[in-house]
Amino acid sequence: FLEHDSWITVELQHSLAANSESFSFRGNVTIPSLNSGLANVEQPDLSTADLDLLKKLALGNEFYRLKATVVYSNGAKAQFITSNKACRLLQAQLNDVLWVSLEPSGYVTGITVSQDTAPATIECTQEDVNKLLETQFSTDVLIRHAELAPVPDTAGFIQKVEREREARERGEVRDNRGFFAKYWMYIVPVVLLVFISGATNQDGAK
Amino acid sequence: LYEDQIKKFDWRGVNVGALKQSRVDLNHFQPRILVTTYEGVVASLCVKTGELVWRQVLEQKPRGDVKLLQVSGFADDSSDTAAAPMGSNMGFDMLTVQGHAPALVRGWNTNMGALEWEWSIMPMNTERAQDAMWIYSKSVLYHVLPAWRSHLEVTAYFASSGHSTGSTSKVIAPWITSESCTLSGTFYVCTDGKQLISLDLVSKSGQVIRTSLEAEPKGKTQALTGLNGVVIVDGKPISVNKDQSICGDLRSSSFAVGSFNYRKVLAYADLSSGILRINALYLDNCAPAAELEQSLPFPEHFGTPSLSNFDCKQKRNGEGKNCLFLFSSTSESIVAVQHGRVRWSREESLANVIDSQFVDLPLADTEGTLENEMKGKAGDFTSFERDIASAFLRRITTQAVQIRSLFLHVIGLGPPPTDTQRAGLVRDSFGLHKMLVLLTRAGKIFGIDNVSGKHHWQLHLPNVIGFANDEQMRLIVQRSAKHFPLQPLCTILGKNAVSGNGVLYRFNPITGKVAEGGLVQLDYRIKQLSLLGETEKDFLKGILLLDASNKVHVYPEHAAPLADGMYLYTADLKTAELAGYFVKYAGGQLSSTHIWNARLGGHNSEQQIIGVAGKNPIEHVHSQGRVLGDRSVLYKYINPNLVAFVTQAPDSTHKSVLNLYLVDVVSGSVVFTMTHRKVRAPLSIVHSENWLAYSYFNEKLRRTEITTIELYEGKSQANSSVWSSLQAPPMPLVERQSYILPTIVEALRETITERGITNKHVLIGTASGSIVEMPWHLLDPRRPIASTTQGREEGAIPYIPELPLPTESHINYNQTVARLRNIYTAPSGLESTCLVVATGLDLFVTRVAPSKTFDLLKEDFDYILISIVLVALTSGSLIVKHLASRKLLKQAWK
Repeated sequence: FLEHDSWITVELQHSLAANSESFSFRGNVTIPSLNSGLANVEQPDLSTADLDLLKKLALGNEFYRLKATVVYSNGAKAQFITSNKACRLLQAQLNDVLWVSLEPSGYVTGITVSQDTAPATIECTQEDVNKLLETQFSTDVLIRHAELAPVPDTAGFIQKVEREREARERGEVRDNRGFFAKYWMYIVPVVLLVFISGATNQDGAK
Repeated sequence: LYEDQIKKFDWRGVNVGALKQSRVDLNHFQPRILVTTYEGVVASLCVKTGELVWRQVLEQKPRGDVKLLQVSGFADDSSDTAAAPMGSNMGFDMLTVQGHAPALVRGWNTNMGALEWEWSIMPMNTERAQDAMWIYSKSVLYHVLPAWRSHLEVTAYFASSGHSTGSTSKVIAPWITSESCTLSGTFYVCTDGKQLISLDLVSKSGQVIRTSLEAEPKGKTQALTGLNGVVIVDGKPISVNKDQSICGDLRSSSFAVGSFNYRKVLAYADLSSGILRINALYLDNCAPAAELEQSLPFPEHFGTPSLSNFDCKQKRNGEGKNCLFLFSSTSESIVAVQHGRVRWSREESLANVIDSQFVDLPLADTEGTLENEMKGKAGDFTSFERDIASAFLRRITTQAVQIRSLFLHVIGLGPPPTDTQRAGLVRDSFGLHKMLVLLTRAGKIFGIDNVSGKHHWQLHLPNVIGFANDEQMRLIVQRSAKHFPLQPLCTILGKNAVSGNGVLYRFNPITGKVAEGGLVQLDYRIKQLSLLGETEKDFLKGILLLDASNKVHVYPEHAAPLADGMYLYTADLKTAELAGYFVKYAGGQLSSTHIWNARLGGHNSEQQIIGVAGKNPIEHVHSQGRVLGDRSVLYKYINPNLVAFVTQAPDSTHKSVLNLYLVDVVSGSVVFTMTHRKVRAPLSIVHSENWLAYSYFNEKLRRTEITTIELYEGKSQANSSVWSSLQAPPMPLVERQSYILPTIVEALRETITERGITNKHVLIGTASGSIVEMPWHLLDPRRPIASTTQGREEGAIPYIPELPLPTESHINYNQTVARLRNIYTAPSGLESTCLVVATGLDLFVTRVAPSKTFDLLKEDFDYILISIVLVALTSGSLIVKHLASRKLLKQAWK
């Protein structure tokens, strides 16, 4: 649910060193229509030095931190930080999912980076790190919209009650369950009784 | 609940609040103490016991703020009251003025607490009316309305009818400010440098009176109640009224005026080195009234006393022993002193309980020894044969020790029992008997028996207050009573009132004694706190603290390694911004990394957080899924890191918008967002398992509604053993529904049991003081709207928009909790039973069994009848067996 459609652009920067506050450029995401949720992602290849930093981050079980700067259609800016384990990013071969959460006015409330696949191990070893083949991020962007809350449905309830009363006046019965489903609680005791009587007769016959 | 079960499982504590004004009258035909309190309560207390005779809870502040208390027949020069003739509606026993827009003037019958008459004034300027003051003199009520630095407006009304006596008089007074002025009787007194400037507002002359002071006052001047035109300047009484002289060179922290031997007496009381000293002077000649002098030890937990009022019986002249002195204190107690001792006291800080914990009682010593044996057995990892032998040897030794102690106990030579055992503070079989620890806003802590309501101990923490943004102090259980012989340990986290830095206070919740050093003053401000797991050595849960500069601390320090890998989050209420941190412990040092943030404030940052609800960390989710009508299982989305945030903002289109966000506070992922329009606070919210319920006010339809949300993963479960927030969770299926609640909700709380098998009920605290137990089945968002067979098979009740509130669901029946504010629940030892405490102005403690007491025999279980039937049947079978054998024997002989 969006009150009105709009567009945003997101500039992505990431930090590839632990305990460092410097973020380097990663890519740009353009969402032309928040309603449709389609996104255009441009992300250049990672350099060899960046890849080595990323592998070092994964070996240390550190967080891969991403900074997203959202630019709205009215020129306003908002900054978000999200993180995930660098190890998981490498195990997913740099495939990640960027979740963008919106409120009804189109304001971005949160951006989260995660991976779809479940990791094989919690921590990375040198062997796991060497399995990385990709040099470019492959990112899906998913939009989460707000939803309207329900309201107690008094009108619908009153209509339903009236409809049921009219149906009862017309003598209509709308229980469309099967015969067994309706009357199993009467059939089962009879069947049990017959079996027990049969067993008793057998004993009597001896 | 049956009639014979009333007050069997519950008790209620009735409070009035911190003392504001009081009148002690021992010479009335019915001796009485009349009080007004800061909670907006008017009450009468019994002189002998301090119990409530009657109580009237007025409206909430500011309408219920009592401005003036005037009692007829009081020996006060400023009053010339006429008692009400029998059957008339004129005159009054007691008159109160409350509120300011409108100001309500009420006349009361002090014997029954009945309201006899009432009139009100609506001022023209409602903002200035907040500073209004009231004078009673000679049956006339004067409304004094200051316009700061300009003038005073004085309007006179007849006290009992409200008729105006004429026009408003205007007194030019450009020196008046709110910080420097006070009203003493009919005199309006202001400090100006080293002098007092006073006006008699009732006299016709309007003369300005200037009184010199020895030094410029440091604190604010206070009126001395009971004398006209006397103020207390830095603990020293000064008279600005030429008709009222005051004894010179007198200094004290609290004064009161009364009468003794038919003479006016000024009494004063001071506390030094734990001794409370009461002295008195005759006002006519400044001679000391030696009969009234008293000294008594004053318990520390009362705080600092302040003399409020006193009175003496007129009989048996010459004896000062019949005087009753009424004190208020910084710990919000009301203390009555008579005969040189504390005769009774009332703990009115219980009117502001801010946190509560049910603490398990310790084991009996013999059971503790057995527990120790079991623990020792588990810890012994030597060879199998030796383990068996040593366990056997320890068992025999323990039983021999028990037999020996029993023998010694029988002949009276046993060791004396410990203090907790002597007080009966031993765990019972079902774990229903617990120590209820209550932390109050005044910094007072109580240990109360949850079964009998007895106050076992109390502590007072001066100069400790709550945190910013109305976040109260925290009461944390760091170690429970399970680890015999280690004592349980509780910690209070608060803020130093002067420096603003964090404060920790550790104590034993069973004995109320200080533990492990007690008070710890930190040198940083606390921004967020969390509880760590138990340490191996002393089973202590460390406290993880995030300070204002985002540094991480752990208390006690030896628990710091357990903080490695912890996640913390903070929420700014004003800007609605969330931040997440990751804690790392490396190289003997703690550090935090900022790993996520979220912004819930909207485009213009107008959204503010009005509710935060996480899940109870001690709850268990017993059932992983829900069986549907087609016999498949719908798995629950059980994310322990999910926190609900509710924001509210004014909106140009919808007048008011309320947003609900479900945020995973480990990954910062906003899982779900929902919007209500034309909806505003008051908000009550409860979050448990995979569901959420919150109530709000619908402004369009002008009613209270409650919305419930349930989160499901779907027909398949991702990972049934371990939850990981860093892995992308599937989008949860969100079921939601709204219902109408025909009441105003003040508090919501879910029931909780030890293993989570029992049904969940939601306890709804209403504004009328009732606690309604609402089964979750009625709040279920999956209640079918259409009459399909699917919903019927699942066991859901068809949807009806309005929730019923049957009287049988009121768990406190007619024991209303005035000003109900919060409900706390705790598991007991029984799986079926949940312990409940409701706090507000009153206190109500009970237990509820949401799925009936399936693990107990019923109370009316007929032991005698079953025993008789069992014995009869056994005897009958033996007799019949004997007869049958005789019959067989007879047949054999034939």
